[in-house]
Amino acid sequence: MSHSHEDHERTMSTDVRTTRRLSSVRSSLTTAGLAVTAMIGLSACASNAPQDTWQPAGENAQKIHDLQWPVFTVAGIVGVIVLVFIGVIVFRFRDKGQAIPEQTHGKAWLEYLFIAIPAVILAAIAIPTVGVVLALAETDDTECIINVTGQQWWWEYDYEVEPDGSICGFAPSAGEASPIITSGQVVIPAGTNVLLRGTSRDVIHSYWIPRLNGKRDMVPGRVHYLRLQSDTPGIYAGQCTEFCGLSHANMRMETVVLAPADFQRWLDNELEPYKSPAEGTLAKEGEATYITQCARCHQVNGLVDDKGTDDTSDDTVVVSYPDQFVFSGAAPNLTNLMGRNTFAGASWDLLTPECREDVWEASPEEFGEKYLAGVTEDCLNDIDLREWLRNAPAKKPMYADAELLEPTDGKTRGMPYLALSEDQIDQLIAYLLERK
Amino acid sequence: MFTTGSKLLLGSTVAALIGTLLYGILVGGIMGTVGLVSATAALGTFAAINIFTRDANVSVDDIDAFAGAAAGAERPGSSMWPLAIGLATATITLGLVTYTAIFMLGVILLIAGTAEWMLQAWAERASSDANHNREVRGRLAYTAEMPAAAAIGLGIVIYAFSRVMLGVPSKASTIVAFSVVAAVVLAVGAFVGSNRRISAPKLTGLFAVAGVVLVSGGAVAGLNGEREIEEHHTTAYYAQEGKCGTGEISADEHASQTVAGKASQAATVVLSDSGLTYTFPGLDQVRSGSIQLPRSSAVNILFRNETNEHRRLVADMAPEVEGSPAKICSQLVEEGGVQLLTLNYPVPSFDPSVEANGGYALSVPGVDGARLEVVVP
Repeated sequence: MSHSHEDHERTMSTDVRTTRRLSSVRSSLTTAGLAVTAMIGLSACASNAPQDTWQPAGENAQKIHDLQWPVFTVAGIVGVIVLVFIGVIVFRFRDKGQAIPEQTHGKAWLEYLFIAIPAVILAAIAIPTVGVVLALAETDDTECIINVTGQQWWWEYDYEVEPDGSICGFAPSAGEASPIITSGQVVIPAGTNVLLRGTSRDVIHSYWIPRLNGKRDMVPGRVHYLRLQSDTPGIYAGQCTEFCGLSHANMRMETVVLAPADFQRWLDNELEPYKSPAEGTLAKEGEATYITQCARCHQVNGLVDDKGTDDTSDDTVVVSYPDQFVFSGAAPNLTNLMGRNTFAGASWDLLTPECREDVWEASPEEFGEKYLAGVTEDCLNDIDLREWLRNAPAKKPMYADAELLEPTDGKTRGMPYLALSEDQIDQLIAYLLERK
Repeated sequence: MFTTGSKLLLGSTVAALIGTLLYGILVGGIMGTVGLVSATAALGTFAAINIFTRDANVSVDDIDAFAGAAAGAERPGSSMWPLAIGLATATITLGLVTYTAIFMLGVILLIAGTAEWMLQAWAERASSDANHNREVRGRLAYTAEMPAAAAIGLGIVIYAFSRVMLGVPSKASTIVAFSVVAAVVLAVGAFVGSNRRISAPKLTGLFAVAGVVLVSGGAVAGLNGEREIEEHHTTAYYAQEGKCGTGEISADEHASQTVAGKASQAATVVLSDSGLTYTFPGLDQVRSGSIQLPRSSAVNILFRNETNEHRRLVADMAPEVEGSPAKICSQLVEEGGVQLLTLNYPVPSFDPSVEANGGYALSVPGVDGARLEVVVP
């Protein structure tokens, strides 16, 4: 009898310990679940979120934003109702050993209701959605055409010269307009309806500046249109949203919106004739290095190879032939590299973090002045640029080993390793610093 | 009394003994005689052991076990697959010194022969009933053999038929393909359908004869070679020959019916009485003078002829650049017709070699002033 009582006590004690342990596990799981939920929720409140669709900065993005609020509200309410129903049913009709209730079949009015409710909801959502889709496809109000071409893994922009000789409605202050070609950052005038005419040179890419408009796929051999517009000067970030190969994650882009007066200054600067570095400077040595090492792929408009002599009769215009070396057939034009403040597919900044923050955080009134200052020697992000020149494929994953590229006929996808010496890198940086 | 193995060994022992005696008496070599005596003794020992164990044949002691044993099974039939494998090996060897195709054929034959032989051997062990074993083999093998045989047979028929078609004049081939063959198929089908008493062997014979005739015809036609086939050049050929003028060329047929005319376009270039103008899709503004197109990117230009005469669009390219044609031209487009050109400019328009050739341009032969300068940044 005494022995049995001890057994009972031991059993009771074991049960209590098991219950406590289970309770502790449940508590830990609940805490972890709440922590994860809170983390996800709090991450949505990040102040530095340059690709936030909930912060539209242009009329096109605003249209999408105005649409997504009611759509998400309706979807959210429907979701909550469904979840509550499921919860109630799961709890109330859980298995308690009761008999299976009577099975009914064929309640026509209920089935009609379950068809009618979603149909009405979808119809209500479809009307404004179709309206926005059609509005975003409008091209009649275009004031500026910019051609955008995607390739692994960067975007190229060339500005259309209008029949009246202007670019985006702005005539150059001096001389005639010629096509401007740039990459990484597209500069547009504030308050102007810009139409991007996009395509791709290699694989399908997708263009998306979340704060200015929705996504648009860029397919080789096809031309696609995307409207951009913003009244607020600033920089708006985006990212390729169609997986396009090894460095898809490093294929970024930025739209720079400048006040009209600032855009005019930017335009005039872009159309400035090429200025060769002063004789005897490190930059002049960099020019020669550039011609031998970089110019076969990267175009600098107006660059002339003087062969190191004063005799101008044998000077030749330097033209790049990227189609012979690069699979996509193109490499970024570096004419005004330091006028924009990113490089390598906008993956790295040409500005130091402090200077970058100064530009990004500038008020709309001050932004133009700060952006147009370009990259100065003090603000140059020397570290990343050097690393890039030292061994580009090590910094950004690319199919850059020509020996392994039989399907591309030995052409690289991206920039190859050039085996530059540190002296050559010094020269190139000095030269590139003057490209603005 | 004596088993097969015992008989073999006893016989061998006797033969060795006779050999020993003959050798010992007639030749007299000691080493040879010792060797033969040893062989005779060994064979005699083996024969004794075998007689004692009755050739390890259970049939003598255990009738039931004998009936279920592999040794008691019906003898398997002859197999052609070892022969096929031998042929495959010879083909592979021949292929190694001649052509890759023959080598590959040998490899395929080797794989198929090995698989079939293995399958046959496996099926023959299924039971002692040969019919059942054949059925077992068929169940597995026919799933692969039937489609393969059908594909090979169909391939032979198609190839033979194509040789015949390519061997006879084009009009005759059309008549044969769409009239004679169709009529024969219809007639045979009608005959077989209406005559239910026709036996399967007769039908098989009929198709076999038809097959032999077809294959023979194909072989003869193949040996005779193809008829002279008229060559149809594209506009790219005529552009290279410098014949993108106002005159009609053979490539001008069905100018507006090309599928590419429905493709995505970078611009629509229109020839009208007022000259050459263009519009960008989605934009109403009519432009002229110059058109800006991207570099190193395939762009489609739709040419629309709104004049009263047949006209073609010609694009001046970069003849000095490797891989770039001197010109690309459209077909001769009828009044109101359209035609698509795909252009890819490898170098910018400020390239000295392009400038030396007068720059990139789109123009219409025979129409003065119908010209657009192409600017490639």
